[in-house]
Amino acid sequence: MVALVMIVGLLGLIFYQGGATFWPGPLVEITTHDGRTFLGEVTRSEDYRLDADTLNKLPPAIAANARALLAAHEGQMRRRLLRTGNFDLTGSEYQWVSDYEVVRETEPLWAVTVERTDWGNCYGVVQGFLVTNELRVKDPARAEVETNDPGTAWNRFQQVHEGVRDKLANEHYFVRLQTRGGSKGDKVYDLPVEEVVLAYPANQLSFGGRFKVYLTRWVEFLTDKPRMANTEGGVLPAIWGTVAMTLLLSLLVVPFGVLAALYLREYARPGPIVSAVRIAINNLAGVPSIVFGVFGLGFFCYLLGGSVDQVFFRDRLPSPTFGTGGLLWASMTLALLTLPVVIVSTEEALAAVPSSMREGSYACGASKWQTIWRIVLPRALPGIMTGMILAMARGAGEVAPLMLVGVLKHAPELPIDGVFPFVHLQRSFMHLGFHIFDVGFQSRNSEAARPMVYTTTFLLIVIIALLNLMAVWLRSRLRRRFQVSHF
Amino acid sequence: MRMLRFLVAVAFLVLSAGSTSAQLKVDPKLPEYKKIDSVQGRIKSIGSDTMNNLMTLWAEGFAKYYDPKNVQAEIEGKGSTTAPPALIAGTANFGPMSRAMKNKEIDDFKEKFGYGPTALTTSIDMLAIYVHKDNPIKGLTLAQVDAIFSKTRKSGHKEVKTWGDLGLTGEWADKPINIYGRNAASGTYGFIKEHVLKNGDFKAEVKEQPGSSSVVQGVASDKYAIGYSGIGYRTADVKAVPLGLTEKELVEAEPENAYSGDYPLARPLFVYVNYKPNSEIDPLRREFIKYIFSKQGQEDVIKAGYLPVGEPIARKALAAVGIK
Repeated sequence: MVALVMIVGLLGLIFYQGGATFWPGPLVEITTHDGRTFLGEVTRSEDYRLDADTLNKLPPAIAANARALLAAHEGQMRRRLLRTGNFDLTGSEYQWVSDYEVVRETEPLWAVTVERTDWGNCYGVVQGFLVTNELRVKDPARAEVETNDPGTAWNRFQQVHEGVRDKLANEHYFVRLQTRGGSKGDKVYDLPVEEVVLAYPANQLSFGGRFKVYLTRWVEFLTDKPRMANTEGGVLPAIWGTVAMTLLLSLLVVPFGVLAALYLREYARPGPIVSAVRIAINNLAGVPSIVFGVFGLGFFCYLLGGSVDQVFFRDRLPSPTFGTGGLLWASMTLALLTLPVVIVSTEEALAAVPSSMREGSYACGASKWQTIWRIVLPRALPGIMTGMILAMARGAGEVAPLMLVGVLKHAPELPIDGVFPFVHLQRSFMHLGFHIFDVGFQSRNSEAARPMVYTTTFLLIVIIALLNLMAVWLRSRLRRRFQVSHF
Repeated sequence: MRMLRFLVAVAFLVLSAGSTSAQLKVDPKLPEYKKIDSVQGRIKSIGSDTMNNLMTLWAEGFAKYYDPKNVQAEIEGKGSTTAPPALIAGTANFGPMSRAMKNKEIDDFKEKFGYGPTALTTSIDMLAIYVHKDNPIKGLTLAQVDAIFSKTRKSGHKEVKTWGDLGLTGEWADKPINIYGRNAASGTYGFIKEHVLKNGDFKAEVKEQPGSSSVVQGVASDKYAIGYSGIGYRTADVKAVPLGLTEKELVEAEPENAYSGDYPLARPLFVYVNYKPNSEIDPLRREFIKYIFSKQGQEDVIKAGYLPVGEPIARKALAAVGIK
């Protein structure tokens, strides 16, 4: 019961937080009592205790307002975290604003949220539309201002935005934005249309419009490569890496696991050696995963990979081809890690096949191998598949050993792509699990990274569930096929 | 420290007019990066965690100029200490480090190749001491910082256990200080140990974090915390404490103070390469190094939250690997 509550609670939190990340919120413009103006999206708010020192230093009118707010709110002051973006203009991306500081708060009609290829988000109020023949507006006097009307400017933007990134034009388009910089001052910024990934007037969107933006951002997340050191853009290489590794892992682990179990159950004579092997396998299941990682690094990468390099890739040395972490070694390490699961479940499945069936087969004159291949294995198949499903689930969620044997922060090339020889077993790759660690604990802007962590976690859970569902579906098909031949 | 002073002396300070609205700009004398034909290969970088994002940004920026079939990049950052072995073994062609190589590491390199590794000064970082945004502390001297983090207290400051020991009053006076730091593979750890602790030992209570960003997140979620991390990781939830040698000369962690040499915890960020003196460097590494020291490359430095270097340092770095 407790476990159920925990699972549902955890999944609920992740789905809620991860699902909400891409929902476009309104933009607010806040002017504070000391004359600073901010424009941005409210990301969260919290209550805190305003200390007496700060309160006493405020101008009397503001202090009175603050006291009134405190009295109305049981002595707590609310503050909101605004995502103000415009890192290239102000050097910061977030700003806390306490309620007592606010003297004016509006939602400007033409405030736009802009996702850019560089420098992260930009927030501003549309003022006009410009055309020049330069990449940047260096001298505003030389640029041709097409319009100063926000509505017309926005229409022009939408006309030219589609396809502008592919076109090599000598005309360059800019949307003129009024930005707010807080204490760093307000600036007029001419946003190059080429750099815009996605832009929307956040305060004018209807529910349908918001939903469209939401879907667009999901599509971008699922199909794009990462930008700005993984904090923006998509996670396609990580999705691809996770799926490729999991599939390769199951391809490797199932034959070995099944063969080992067959030998142990059907061929080996029970005795101290077989018991010792069984104990060893069961113990293998209890070894911490990082130990497998160290083993994989030492044995697969350095020893095996190093020898492969010596023999086949001598001309590329000293830079290693297989002698370093890569897709193949990562999958093999995880295959080792998940081997006990497959062996144990296969053995159980083999044991569950009634001995009367084996005896019947022998009575008809079948050899031992014919019996195993035709009678025992088909009936044990669902059990074997169960082992594979468990192995996949375990393998796809594992991160610690992967960090040692081939998963990297930045490796945008896909391990399986359209370039000969299509499957690049030696390539390092990105993995969703490591991506979560990296974005959550290594990225420069941890505030902006937090929603991405939830979203990526959400995605990882969905992908593992999908892989498992696929295997479960396969198993039920197989089961049905063999049930027909039952009495 | 002396080397840094020298670097800072030649660093070109480029700040837009009006010091309060100072937004970093790159030195306009730096060359624009232009693509050339026939670059092929794999950029493999192993090293500093502090420079992880920076290397990634450079790799992303560089990749924009070339066909992904020809130029690939793999960036790995588990700590500066991992860079020298990777360069020596040849598993990486770039070794980003947030501290200078130690003599032992240089000797190991020399033993294998017969010449020393080449250090390129790519950017400048300020290590900041972070506290929670509600913390009213005005500033700290280096001796105080030493006393907070160290059990040996080589600077001779009295023992510091609570915020009251640092002069805070009211609710803060009896609250113990929660200390966050980095793990020992990190160059940031090494830098603080050498320059603040005077090679003394960290207290056992330091909560060692796996990444620069985790330190900031730890401090952000813990009202009575203090921690050290790169200035690039600052968020709205934490405050960088002004630092100084004495209480009278506290300096804000702002770019102009790093360039002027007043901020006591500024440090250069290096990229080490294996370059045989007077040889010709291969096109891939040549172009990537040229990119690092171009306008675009130094803009990436600002994106990563660090301070760009000026044209004199860039020219010197390019000359060090035989690029004219």
